[in-house]
Amino acid sequence: MTRSLRSGLVALALILAAFGALKATAAADDPATIVKGAIDYWRDVTSYTVVEMTVHRPDWERASLMRAWTRGEKDSLVRFVKPARDAGSATLKVGDDMWIFSPKLNRVIKLPFSMMAQSWMGSDFSYNDLAKSDQIIHNFTHRLVKTDKQDGHAVYVIESTPLPNAPVIWGKERLRIRDDHLLLEETFFDQDGKPVKRLSAVKIGRLGGKVYVTSMRMEKLDEADHWTEITYRKASFGLSLPDAVFTLSNLRNPRPGWERP
Amino acid sequence: MARLALLLRLARRSVLRNRRRTLIILVAISVALWAMIFFAALTRGWENDVVHNAIFTLTGHLQVHAPGYRDDPSVDHSMKPPNATVAQLLAGTEVAAWGTRVRVPAVVMSEHDTAGVTLVGIDPAAERGLSFIADAVHTGRYLDSPDDRGILIGRALADRLGTGVGKRVVVMSQAADHSVADRGFRVVGLFEGDREATEMAYVFVGRRTAMTMLKLGSRVSELAVMLRDRRQLPAFLARLRTAASGLDVQPWTTLEPMAQAMVALGQAWIWMFFVVMYVAMAFGLVNTMLMAVMERTREFGMLQALGMRPRLILIQVVFESCFLLAAGAAAGIGLAAGTLSLLHGGINLSILAQGAEMWGMGKVIYPAAAVVDVIGATALVVVLGVFSSLYPAWRAARRVPIEAITRN
Amino acid sequence: MTDIVACHDLSKTYRPDHLAVDALTDIELTIAEGEFASLVGPSGSGKTTLLNLIGGLDTPTAGEVYLRGQRVDTLAPGELADLRLNHVGFVFQAYNLIPVLTARENVELVMELQGLGTADRARLSRDILHEVGLEGLGDRRPAELSGGQQQRVAVARAIVSHPAVVLADEPTANLDSQTASSLLELMRELNQRHGITFIISTHDPMVMEFARRRVMLRDGRIVDDTVAA
Repeated sequence: MTRSLRSGLVALALILAAFGALKATAAADDPATIVKGAIDYWRDVTSYTVVEMTVHRPDWERASLMRAWTRGEKDSLVRFVKPARDAGSATLKVGDDMWIFSPKLNRVIKLPFSMMAQSWMGSDFSYNDLAKSDQIIHNFTHRLVKTDKQDGHAVYVIESTPLPNAPVIWGKERLRIRDDHLLLEETFFDQDGKPVKRLSAVKIGRLGGKVYVTSMRMEKLDEADHWTEITYRKASFGLSLPDAVFTLSNLRNPRPGWERP
Repeated sequence: MARLALLLRLARRSVLRNRRRTLIILVAISVALWAMIFFAALTRGWENDVVHNAIFTLTGHLQVHAPGYRDDPSVDHSMKPPNATVAQLLAGTEVAAWGTRVRVPAVVMSEHDTAGVTLVGIDPAAERGLSFIADAVHTGRYLDSPDDRGILIGRALADRLGTGVGKRVVVMSQAADHSVADRGFRVVGLFEGDREATEMAYVFVGRRTAMTMLKLGSRVSELAVMLRDRRQLPAFLARLRTAASGLDVQPWTTLEPMAQAMVALGQAWIWMFFVVMYVAMAFGLVNTMLMAVMERTREFGMLQALGMRPRLILIQVVFESCFLLAAGAAAGIGLAAGTLSLLHGGINLSILAQGAEMWGMGKVIYPAAAVVDVIGATALVVVLGVFSSLYPAWRAARRVPIEAITRN
Repeated sequence: MTDIVACHDLSKTYRPDHLAVDALTDIELTIAEGEFASLVGPSGSGKTTLLNLIGGLDTPTAGEVYLRGQRVDTLAPGELADLRLNHVGFVFQAYNLIPVLTARENVELVMELQGLGTADRARLSRDILHEVGLEGLGDRRPAELSGGQQQRVAVARAIVSHPAVVLADEPTANLDSQTASSLLELMRELNQRHGITFIISTHDPMVMEFARRRVMLRDGRIVDDTVAA
């Protein structure tokens, strides 16, 4: 891929992003569109990120580093780099199916449904959180509660209620989405209306050519000092990722590349 | 025979005359027999409970599965609903109830917790008389139809998940195409099981709702059948095996080997206890009879001096034992009958339910006296009791105690 | 007169292994039918042992015992029991009676063992109780009778089935002299009336007066055997 072609693609991506922003602003009063806009902005068409994850507990803290690729709403690949103990462990999601690879066992395991609710790599995220990162779009009805002003931006406060029979355990979720598609906060309520856990933006900055929530934290509200923080160290969006990225063979035997636009 | 009448009279008289000794032996025999019968009744009650629980906890008298289901009870081993031949058999008079089910491992999740369970898709009406669930709803309602969109979960599971009637839980399992099948269900009712393990193990949904969720089409996991009489099982089993060839047709004894093993264990346990109780009692009996014989050395010597043959002395002592054993047995059986009728309403074990569950017991145990146990215990006590009295009798008859009769 | 009892070279040694005690040594004795004999001598002279050997309660170390011409000392225990049942009546010093049976039942015991019918037993026991002066006391238990009455029941039981010999071992030892005398009187009457042979061991001088024949034992040997004129 030549340099000029690559920069051309970046330009195209920027134009597309701007167009998307324009569209979102136009339909600002439709909460479903606001939510979908935020998720799409977050995941982009494709992405490559280097992410630091800190799992914090009252008596210990553990940091790890990973590289992640996403494509659309359904496909992703996450590979751990640090700590050494976890290096090489990877999680692949294609469509609704998930596989994990453990270099110690040198085995790929299709994640059984029975493990879906378990914690992912000891964090406050479950496999389910990973597998259903898009479920907020498909399984909820959204209602715009109010619009706040913050740092010169409009912030939409949206209450999302799961559809009947949707595989959602929460009573409702409350989202705070800035008018430039940044998901500032996502609070999960139990069915009695009590907040149980919260995902919130910690830092906002420029990353991979766009304004992005560069650091966010998931915390359990009923257990003090339990949280997991995700910080994006590097990001590229709108890469051209071939199907080969999201395959079992790539999960087991990683091939270099696919890290730049 | 005149001599026999004499011996009987002598035996009867000496039993009645030596009140204290008679009383001691009677108490020993009757308490031992009471304990044996009571313990046997408890064990039988426990056995019945285990069997009843095994049969009513979704087993029935027999079940039909796809081959392989029993080793791996997943969607992979599903089968077509009963064919015409099988359906004709199921319409027979010996069948009390039958139903098809979807039955697969699943995970149920609430906001607070997650638990591994068995997801059971049922025809709510068909389960009446087939399993415990139709009569087990404690709060909320039972399922309405195979298409009911609600879920019925155990009370203990609801506690663990921090959920309740009206709330939503998510059930995840594996669909027939090996994708993850998940779906939210509203809890419509909580059921109470005879054992906490049951409340934790099963969640119930409409059968067709489950089939849709698991992408099973018209396929089901199992067919369960309850007969009017358990004794018809072998014959019916054979006919069903012919009708449902290619499928795995098994009686409850195979499906619940633990229950079957516990019944066998109970049987062995009863006889072990019988022997232990008997040995304890026999020591007392031999000892007391021996004392009684020693005490009466002069009397037995006199009878021999008068010309009573040693054999008759022996018979007299055995007769005495027989009287005591018969009276003691009657008292023991009476005592046991009284105790058991007092405990007719069952013994509530809920205080030790946690421990009791380990032994497969329910929350209430209903003692059930079996005629064979009562006869067995009584026969053991009486027959072996007579044998135990032979030694003292032999001591009495062995020789003429000259010193005892001639010295003052 | 025929010999009812005959003893030849009769010896009895207790504990023949060590510290042997010779209870009887070389006894030669015959008792004729209808005799009323007394065995006298101090305690330990062998009176009781001799009676037991004659009655088949005990077996001799050496010698022979004959009862009505039948050899006794070689019989098996069961045969000895039958011998005692049919040919010997015993009267011991005390506790002769089976405590759980009434006086009448005690008297009928031997007949019952012999297999006599109910009617015969009832008649014979009624007659004999009348004869020994216990009319009306037949339904009493031994514990409800005096010592003398108990001994009378024992005598009645001993003679009721007409044995070859009645062996009475110190029958009067536990009785006062008046009761003892009337018991002896009774026994002699019965001896005379029914011709039943009596051998009575005693060290009571009164008995010696009643008996015509007196066999004296000392240290297991017969030292004197006299018949009163």
